[in-house]
Parts: sequence; structure tokens; C-alpha cells
Amino acid sequence: MFGPFRISSPLSGGLLWKIPWRLSNPQKRRQRKRLRLVDKVVATVDSALQRQNMELGRNVIRWKEEMPSEQEMRPKDKYTMFDRKEKKYRKGIHKLPKWTRVSQRINPPGF
Amino acid sequence: MPYFKITLIRSSIGLPRKTQGVLNALGLRKRMATVFKPVNPSTAGQIMKIKELVAVSEVEQALTDAEMRAMRKPDPGYYIEKPVVG
Repeated sequence: MFGPFRISSPLSGGLLWKIPWRLSNPQKRRQRKRLRLVDKVVATVDSALQRQNMELGRNVIRWKEEMPSEQEMRPKDKYTMFDRKEKKYRKGIHKLPKWTRVSQRINPPGF
Repeated sequence: MPYFKITLIRSSIGLPRKTQGVLNALGLRKRMATVFKPVNPSTAGQIMKIKELVAVSEVEQALTDAEMRAMRKPDPGYYIEKPVVG
């Protein structure tokens, strides 16, 4: 009844991992918050280097060129990502391993 | 001389060895640990590798651990009077 090995539907066999196919509203809100926090870190690094008239590193330049900020991203890209095996080529971003600690912002054009 | 104040907000458990290596190199061993590193391109590159895990701000002075601890210490709420001589 209780304890770590209690009988529950996901544990008693079969493929019953109830991971929802889309994010809930609070999950989406926290995702946006995390995106903004990363934007803020990059902006801080960028402005600190420019104030010292130091060259920006490869990483910073590339991020600024390629990565959209949270405001510029489409909702589709914030909460879903490309996957060639999925119907309509999109899956929820929470299917990505360690999705709260990695940056997954851009998807193939047209998908 | 400006410094980056870097605080580890998210743990690196389960992340690639390279990411954990960057954190070790910066001296961030556990969550909420803070280090001060001079503003230069190489530090910036290190921060970019772990940008999802840390909070960064630019400060003028680097503080030691003891100084940061003293800043966190609350006011004791009393003071000890000195005996008046004479």
C-alpha cells in the first residue's frame, strides 16, 4: 500500500507512463521564465565585455546572431520542438532530456 | 576592475561531463555557491557554457567568502555598553 514499491498502474507493468503530450499553463510560464533568465545572463556578459572594450567570444557572437530572444520566439518554438518521427513533426519540449537545463530554441525552417 | 558575480542556481546532476568540468573550473561546487571572476573573454566563454545553470551580474569589487557571510548576518538586536571610566 505504502512505500517505494507500492503497486500502482505504471509500476505493475505495461507502458503506462503518464507523461502528458503538452505542457500545462504553469509549466509554460516557468519555461518562459527560464528562457528570459538565460537571455539576461547573455545580455549581462555581452554588456560587461562591451563596456571594457573587449572582444566578444565566439560563443557570445554566435548566440546573438542565431538565437532569438524570448520575446522574438514563436509560441510554437517555445513549447514544442522538431522531431522527424512525430506526426506533424512536432513534440512537446518536455520530451527533451534535461529540458529545463538545456537551450532548445531553433527548429528547422518550414517545420 | 569589474568582476562577474556568478551564482550556481541549477544543479549539474545528470549533465554532460564537460558541463560539470566547467563548473569545477569556475569553483562552483554546490547550488547557491557564488564566485567572482574578472571580466574577460575567457570567463565569458565559460559562462556561456553554463548559462542555463547560473545567475550572473557585473560588480565592481570581488568579495571574499567572509565578507559575503558578514553581509548576510542579521543585526543582533542589542549592543554591549562599555563601562564609563572616571
